Amino acid sequence: MRGVLENTTVRFLARRLAYTAVVLVGVMVVVFSIVQLVPGDPVRIALGTRYTEASYEALRAASGLDRPLWEQFVGYLGGALTGDLGVSFRNGEPVTAVLLERLPATISLALAGLVIGLAVALPAGIYSALREGRLSDGIVRIASQFGVSVPDFWMGMLLITLFSSVLGWLPSSGYVAITDDPLEWLRRVTLPAITMGIVAGSIMTRYIRAAVLDVASMGYIRTARSKGLAPKVVTFRHIVRNALVPVLTITGIQMATMLGGVIVVEVVFAWPGLGRLVFDAVASRDYPIIQGAVLLIAVMFLLINLLVDVLYAVVDPRIRLS
Amino acid sequence: MKSRMLLAGIAMTGVAALAACSTGEGVDLDGADGRVLTAAIAGEPDQLDPHKTTSYFSFQVLENIYDTLVEPDENLEMQPALAEDWELSDDQLTWTFELREGVTFHDGSEFTADDVVYSYNRIIDEELSNAWRLSAITDITATDDTTVEITVAQPTPNLLSSLGGFKGLAIVSEDNAESGDISTAPVGTGPFSLENYTSGDSIELVANEDYWGGAPEIAGVTFRFISEGSTALAALKSGDVDWTDSIPAQQVQGLEGDDTIVLGQNPSNDYWYLAMNQAKEPWNDVRVRQAVAYAIDRDAIAQVTSYGTAEVNQLAIPKASSWYSEYDTYSTDVDQAKSLMADAGVPSAEMELLVSSDYPESVAAAQVIADNLAEIGITVSISSPDFASWLDAQNAGRFDMLMMSWLGNIDPDDFYYAQHHSAGGSNAQQYSNPEVDALLDEARTETDTDARKALYDEAAALIADDASYIYLYNPSVIQAWSPELEDYEARGDRAIRFKSVSFSD
Repeated sequence: MRGVLENTTVRFLARRLAYTAVVLVGVMVVVFSIVQLVPGDPVRIALGTRYTEASYEALRAASGLDRPLWEQFVGYLGGALTGDLGVSFRNGEPVTAVLLERLPATISLALAGLVIGLAVALPAGIYSALREGRLSDGIVRIASQFGVSVPDFWMGMLLITLFSSVLGWLPSSGYVAITDDPLEWLRRVTLPAITMGIVAGSIMTRYIRAAVLDVASMGYIRTARSKGLAPKVVTFRHIVRNALVPVLTITGIQMATMLGGVIVVEVVFAWPGLGRLVFDAVASRDYPIIQGAVLLIAVMFLLINLLVDVLYAVVDPRIRLS
Repeated sequence: MKSRMLLAGIAMTGVAALAACSTGEGVDLDGADGRVLTAAIAGEPDQLDPHKTTSYFSFQVLENIYDTLVEPDENLEMQPALAEDWELSDDQLTWTFELREGVTFHDGSEFTADDVVYSYNRIIDEELSNAWRLSAITDITATDDTTVEITVAQPTPNLLSSLGGFKGLAIVSEDNAESGDISTAPVGTGPFSLENYTSGDSIELVANEDYWGGAPEIAGVTFRFISEGSTALAALKSGDVDWTDSIPAQQVQGLEGDDTIVLGQNPSNDYWYLAMNQAKEPWNDVRVRQAVAYAIDRDAIAQVTSYGTAEVNQLAIPKASSWYSEYDTYSTDVDQAKSLMADAGVPSAEMELLVSSDYPESVAAAQVIADNLAEIGITVSISSPDFASWLDAQNAGRFDMLMMSWLGNIDPDDFYYAQHHSAGGSNAQQYSNPEVDALLDEARTETDTDARKALYDEAAALIADDASYIYLYNPSVIQAWSPELEDYEARGDRAIRFKSVSFSD
């Protein structure tokens, strides 16, 4: 029996991995096509007004755009698999190095945003579901609708105005690495993390509420209740625990979204992460950076999805067998 | 309800606790050496090699790291910098520069005439973006350690402004340039040296205690990249930064009268213009071009592009410049425009107006212009490609009228020769007036400043009369800084200089 279980787990993971690999190849085709679909000559655009034929040819050759299409794709694929994503049009730096330099800022902001989001969403979602239809449920639902709808740009400006301009408690922008000065990092990450946390938390609140309601309507909950189990035991051991699977999904998606660098938040708070990088790269038409960033974001998305799938299998044995 | 209040309460307490940990931002005292100035600029430099970058963000930083042989003062007249003195030979073909002695680069190496020769040759030989500014030069020689001789092909009165107009002609260190370090770790002779560069976030400079012009009073400058104007202004008001030019034009009005900041607003040497393709009918008829010049509403255009912060001007050079001359032939006069069209026998016309989506102000202006011209029977279709395609269309002559700007000029030769001489390299509108050609040629080699100005005044008036360019306005330099910052000035050439600023206590 144990052998069979392990076998199915391995098969489940192998299937997931294969699926991830297929999606990854698809992503790379799309990323590769970005440059091909740009109207005009990307090298010409990157060089701007004054340039020499020599520098044009040099950049064109360096970016491989002078070779046949299929050769370019194979080259890009091979390069990407070995971590070589080309060089930035803007200053000739290797794209991989630029991306890795920006990753810590985005990861630390995303984790802080997720922590805030979960800290809001878990209690609010469960509380609201257990009070379904009452005033407090309505208030949570309206508040979360507000959080989902409010533009993060506006929320960011609001927080800056309140905490930075009026109260003067926190800096409005800037970044310090958590490894350099954890306290200063915390001061600087707070406002952007709250901005992201409000949006992520509102979305998760709605999912958690729905998941808890779903489980609470199940027959076995009624059975548990009629058995005379204490309400607390029913709520936490039976309802919340079983509601965790969908919660895991939405948490994973939120984390992946934030890791992709929430462009607007990073721009508003001058946070030097992936989102800001993409914003600047689009403004300066730095296609290798845009390609690299999109690929990295897609890979992170896939990895997190894979991780969530694996966690499902841990949380819910039935999934392993499906 | 209660728990939400509680959550909010916890959040507020957390924020307050964090604030309590603060040691007071923006008043970081660096020993007895004074305070570090924090400047918020609107974007990140692409690279820090002064000869290769074309990004304004780079030059904002490099202005404080590098020196040129001569440099413009606040009236944009050239003053000694790395060159203490210079002489011009009688035939006006040889310039001899006496260099300042005892100047060192930030790495401690000595500055000599060889560095000047190397720097200019690097720009010329590698055909870098500013090579055209040195096109008159035929030879550069170091006659001894502190003397450089520059030979030019013909008398070149604007050589000084070509050599010192901005830091694109900076004197660099050969070791630094040849090693390639210059693009991220430049070594100059200027008032500040590069200390640290955090990609995406900031560049830190520290004061150069050995600066030839005297050590700066402030301990250093930190440039932070804050592209969102509202964030930069909030940071300025809360004291996180001391200076910024990341200011949306629409917010300027709201800042006037705000005594928590000082607002600097000066018309710059940049200008926007319209030009009609004179190789095409009916734009080859000067009356049609003048009709367009009378039909447009400059004030309305300046309003939509800059919220009224720009200064309308019917010539290129702004009031503050010593080369300014008055000219106000045109006014918004639809009747005059209509009668000019009638004289030309052109009751109606179709016009393709070429602007660029990379310059949103040109797209906004195009709407106003299209409206204006409809009144005199010209139907405008607006085409707004990206700038590279815009350039292609301009160079191939695929336009009826275009709108664009010129930046960073100081000497009148830069304003008029390439654009309006029939042999000029940027005369895309194909203007040709022998009288203007003769004036521009003569002015180019005239060494008496007053006589030279008279020639340019005359040429400029002809150019505007013929509507080779229809000049629109000079956009303003808009900057804001803390009232504690003293001796800072917003300059018309957009150079950001922090070497002589200080903080009041």
